[in-house]
Amino acid sequence: MGECSDIRNQLSAWIDGELDAAGRARVDAHLASCERCRGLARDLTGVRDAARRLGPVTPPDHVWLEVAGQIRLTDPRPAPVAPRRRSRPALVQWLGLAAALILLTLGAYVFTRLVPAPEAPGNAPREASVETVTEELRLALQHYEKAIAELEALVKDGNQSLDPEVAASLQRNIALLDQVAAESRSALTEEPASVPARESLFEALRRKVSVLQSTVLLMNEMRQGDAAGAARAAEALRKS
Amino acid sequence: MNEAVRHVDFALAERCRTNAPGAFEELYRAQAPRLFALACRLVGRTNAEDLLQEIFLTAHRKMALYQGDSALGTWLFRLGTNLCLDYLRSRNARFAQISGPFAEEPAAGAPAAGAVLGVVDRIDLERALETLPAGCRAVFVLHDVEGFEHREIGELLHISDGTSKSQLHKARMRLRAALSGAAAPAARTR
Repeated sequence: MGECSDIRNQLSAWIDGELDAAGRARVDAHLASCERCRGLARDLTGVRDAARRLGPVTPPDHVWLEVAGQIRLTDPRPAPVAPRRRSRPALVQWLGLAAALILLTLGAYVFTRLVPAPEAPGNAPREASVETVTEELRLALQHYEKAIAELEALVKDGNQSLDPEVAASLQRNIALLDQVAAESRSALTEEPASVPARESLFEALRRKVSVLQSTVLLMNEMRQGDAAGAARAAEALRKS
Repeated sequence: MNEAVRHVDFALAERCRTNAPGAFEELYRAQAPRLFALACRLVGRTNAEDLLQEIFLTAHRKMALYQGDSALGTWLFRLGTNLCLDYLRSRNARFAQISGPFAEEPAAGAPAAGAVLGVVDRIDLERALETLPAGCRAVFVLHDVEGFEHREIGELLHISDGTSKSQLHKARMRLRAALSGAAAPAARTR
């Protein structure tokens, strides 16, 4: 039994071929005569081999859109594309997007304060008055609504440049999200402290911001004449 | 790294540095899936999206530091790994103490020796990974999933090779316990 315990502690090194010749021979000899340790070695090898097969994971499309937006904001050097007459300069669009992102961050911050932390065992439940929650909720909603208004203005400004199919998809998405938001608001009116209703409302608003951001990016790519970028942004919009 | 790859990578980095249209997106599309997988496995899916953004924004800022000594993907992966680990250190006191000695905790409820697993399913393994304490999960992901050597893991985590090896063994044993359906002690010690 003592030998089994000693051998088991060396099984990972044995599996990985890290033992010296003497150590390897000792484990080999033990495994040849001990079915239980041989079974354990087989399991650990199976775990390692399964780990090696784990592959990459494709991130959601909005992550790239947000990265691209942030880069434009922090490093707004113009891309080397011939300037074209446009109704609203790209920089203004990105400044609008910047404002929206900042507001969104603030909104998310306020929202996280609204979500109650898990209770520690033995602690008395946290008490937040309905009035406090309602006021903080109102502030968080204000941030989202300002962000959405900024983005909607940008989208409206360049809406005519959108492909009709994309524009229709945008309208459908927005209508659906508005419906979810309206239902959540209604639930919150009846029960202001309802966490599911609050989460549902913020998720709808967050997705609406994401859809609008994708639209602004698409319009920007189209204005710059970047067909590949526009195609990717349109695809992201269709998926959002 | 062969000379052709070096030229291609350096040229892409240069295009990223000068904000050439599509250059940084090309880098993102090529590298994001691997980095996102790493972030999901190290810090969980919920935080992985934010971390992926941070990785690429940091890479954009630091692109001038890339000298072409290694493949651009390797440079970026190392940068991303460090950011994931910094995140874990900042959020997880137990992880921050990973350099301390690790006594093997008794695996109460773990299956005894003998084969108990069949073919390990990928989704089951991803779920079981989430039950590991951050320290040994990081070692397992870096070694068994990403193929780092114990020496490299030691440098990244500021631990000795020996600690890395013992953490890897501990992780595999815990995963075996979780995959076998036994009560994994990891869940109680997180």
